[in-house]
Amino acid sequence: MAGGVATVQHNLKMQPSVSLLPSSQSSFCGSKFTTSIQYKRKVCQPKGALNVTASSAKKILVMGGTRFIGIFLSRLLVEEGHQVTLFTRGKAPITQPLPGEADEAYNAFKSKILHLKGDRKDFDFVKTSLAAEGFDVVYDINGREAVEVEPILDALPNLEQYIYCSSAGVYLKSDLLPHCETDAVDPKSRHKGKLETEALLESKGVNYTSIRPVYIYGPLNYNPVEEWFFHRLKAGRPIPIPNSGLQVTQLGHVKDLATAFIKVLGNPKASKQVFNISGDRYVTFDGLARACAKAGGFPEPEIVHYNPKEFDFGKKKAFPFRDQHFFASVEKAKAELGVVPEYGLVEGLKDSYDLDFGRGTFRKAADFETDDIILGKSLVLS
Amino acid sequence: MAALLSSSLVFSNLSRPSLSPSLPYLSLSTASSSSSSLSSSISLSPLYLSSSSRKKPSLSSFTVKAIASEKKKVAIVNTNSGGHAVIGFYFAKQLLSSGHDVTILTVGDESSDKMKKTPFTRFSEIVDGGGKTVWGDVGAIGTVLEGLTFDVVLDNNGKDLDAVRPVADWAKSAGVGQFLFISSAGIYKQTEEPPHVEGDAVKADAGHVLVEKYLSEAFENWASFRPQYMIGSGNNKDCEEWFFDRIVRGRPVPIPGSGMQLTNISHVRDLSSMLTKAVENPTAASGNIFNCVSDRAVTLDGMAKLCAKAAGLPVEIVHYDPKSIGSDAKKAFPFRNMHFYAEPRAAKDILGWESSTNLPEDLKERFEEYVKIGRDKKTMKFDIDDKILESLKVPVPV
Repeated sequence: MAGGVATVQHNLKMQPSVSLLPSSQSSFCGSKFTTSIQYKRKVCQPKGALNVTASSAKKILVMGGTRFIGIFLSRLLVEEGHQVTLFTRGKAPITQPLPGEADEAYNAFKSKILHLKGDRKDFDFVKTSLAAEGFDVVYDINGREAVEVEPILDALPNLEQYIYCSSAGVYLKSDLLPHCETDAVDPKSRHKGKLETEALLESKGVNYTSIRPVYIYGPLNYNPVEEWFFHRLKAGRPIPIPNSGLQVTQLGHVKDLATAFIKVLGNPKASKQVFNISGDRYVTFDGLARACAKAGGFPEPEIVHYNPKEFDFGKKKAFPFRDQHFFASVEKAKAELGVVPEYGLVEGLKDSYDLDFGRGTFRKAADFETDDIILGKSLVLS
Repeated sequence: MAALLSSSLVFSNLSRPSLSPSLPYLSLSTASSSSSSLSSSISLSPLYLSSSSRKKPSLSSFTVKAIASEKKKVAIVNTNSGGHAVIGFYFAKQLLSSGHDVTILTVGDESSDKMKKTPFTRFSEIVDGGGKTVWGDVGAIGTVLEGLTFDVVLDNNGKDLDAVRPVADWAKSAGVGQFLFISSAGIYKQTEEPPHVEGDAVKADAGHVLVEKYLSEAFENWASFRPQYMIGSGNNKDCEEWFFDRIVRGRPVPIPGSGMQLTNISHVRDLSSMLTKAVENPTAASGNIFNCVSDRAVTLDGMAKLCAKAAGLPVEIVHYDPKSIGSDAKKAFPFRNMHFYAEPRAAKDILGWESSTNLPEDLKERFEEYVKIGRDKKTMKFDIDDKILESLKVPVPV
């Protein structure tokens, strides 16, 4: 074991800043581990030494962990040798094999993961059960309101780190982009619960790290992001996109997000810091439609632009993205943590398609009701 | 042994340990702008800064400025017109205030009418700062600069080999150590995945691309800087003024397309500071392309709104289809009608450069000058605007 606090290395496999886990064990099969070289010199690749983790395995609690991000994150944590408990109501299966995952890998994971069944909104239960167990680190993947975090903090006075999945949705809309971690936030946004949680963590003096993803995508996504496009592409339907289609958004692959969550574990550079985590490039709405087509091997789609103000869709959402520019700079995580997104957009969408939609699985059935309203109207924007 | 100059020890976001052969080094910074104290600054021997000790710039503890430990003799070969002219002006002044030696060669004749516009009308500021201003043709550059030797040459004189080759060839034969070139972010191939990042595909037949290639083959130490649009006092070409002209006269601002197009409008001091960083960190800069822009993009609509806010006046934005006005479209609007958005990632990573452009604040200053020079009262014609508004049936105040 190395001496000197600052350079103690994890005595399990050192995670280099670029690649993911060895593929024989990894459920992340099919993923490529190439980095794109942006500059003449390789940059943003400080060697693994940045990942200063304590040498011993941690007792880790994941709030959530059975739906999307947590599925990938928990696998990485277990492979790192930590003891991982998932706190869920048990509505989704505690474990499920990932598409393409080897039986051996899945069984190894399944045999090690622990489950604490409960409702996180039952604050008394949260407090007593967590206090009884004691955990070193909490990954809060599904927290929405600050009030949900208090009992956790109360139960774990010796908590080493609280790692929170926040959202880039907290940023105040601006004419100047990208959003950076220092930018103004919107106390009235739909995500104000996330903001209040961040503020609570800051005020409590706990060692926290807050991650702000933008749009997350990847296999098992329950938010119809890429799925929305795939349904239309598969059906050979035109893709209705509001207004100009030039709106710029940003997608981040769930596996890259999971990797980032691992990178901050026990990392002093992440202490009391906020990081935007998403893809390295942004994309226009029109570009995203075309990228999905490429990823799924579909022909180039017909895109139809329309003015959403001319329609009344009732309660239905006609398009899965905010109708505005929405993207965040991920340079802070790159510069300070060495977190470099692995997946390019088309590559990442292909991973999602090959492991999920392309195998016939999806979360929401196709619903073209709003499309038909749009397409039915004779006047569409050219 | 030189004495310690200042008590403040500063570390900054320098190139990361894995990047360049030269490790981040500790040096004492001189007082920020005094010119002649450079020669007495100290550079301590390379000291490895472990990554874990590197802190966020905004924390109060340390920020290292990698400053020049030696005085450089810099030649700037500057264009005599256009949007890039102002770059040489700011760069000259910044180098001078950092204690370097500067000669700025403006292409053409000193007596040309082109010299009656800014920044040329303010070249006395360069002379007052200790710099040399000369005029001449690049074809005769060896003669024009006869007897002078330089460590660094910045070519800001053109967009193709016809303009730059003579300068490059002369610099090479004169043994110039570092050759810098003002290229353009306009050479990036259009993408649906912004931003343009250094290393992305460029238009193979673009003049600037051929120049970059030529330089990469001719010089061991070269770097290329790709700017976009600039604001700043002394600009030779209108930028924000186009918006102010309409806003102060209560005229609608016609913007082609959706107005959602993202672009990058930087204060020219950002370009100047990036170039200065390259001069002062030649090893790190060598062989690299740098997007020479601020680190925020703004939409076309957003720029109009920021200009209005800076002026303290309302704005009416009107969108139009540029196809509907035919050949007038190019002259109608001073910005490209598409996303045109590069990020300065290389400069931040490799040079530890930081952007200081603050459009809301900078535009206030720009508007003050706009009024000070009386441009708000100038009589102007808006023929193309009128055509556009007519076709959209938008009323215009008389």
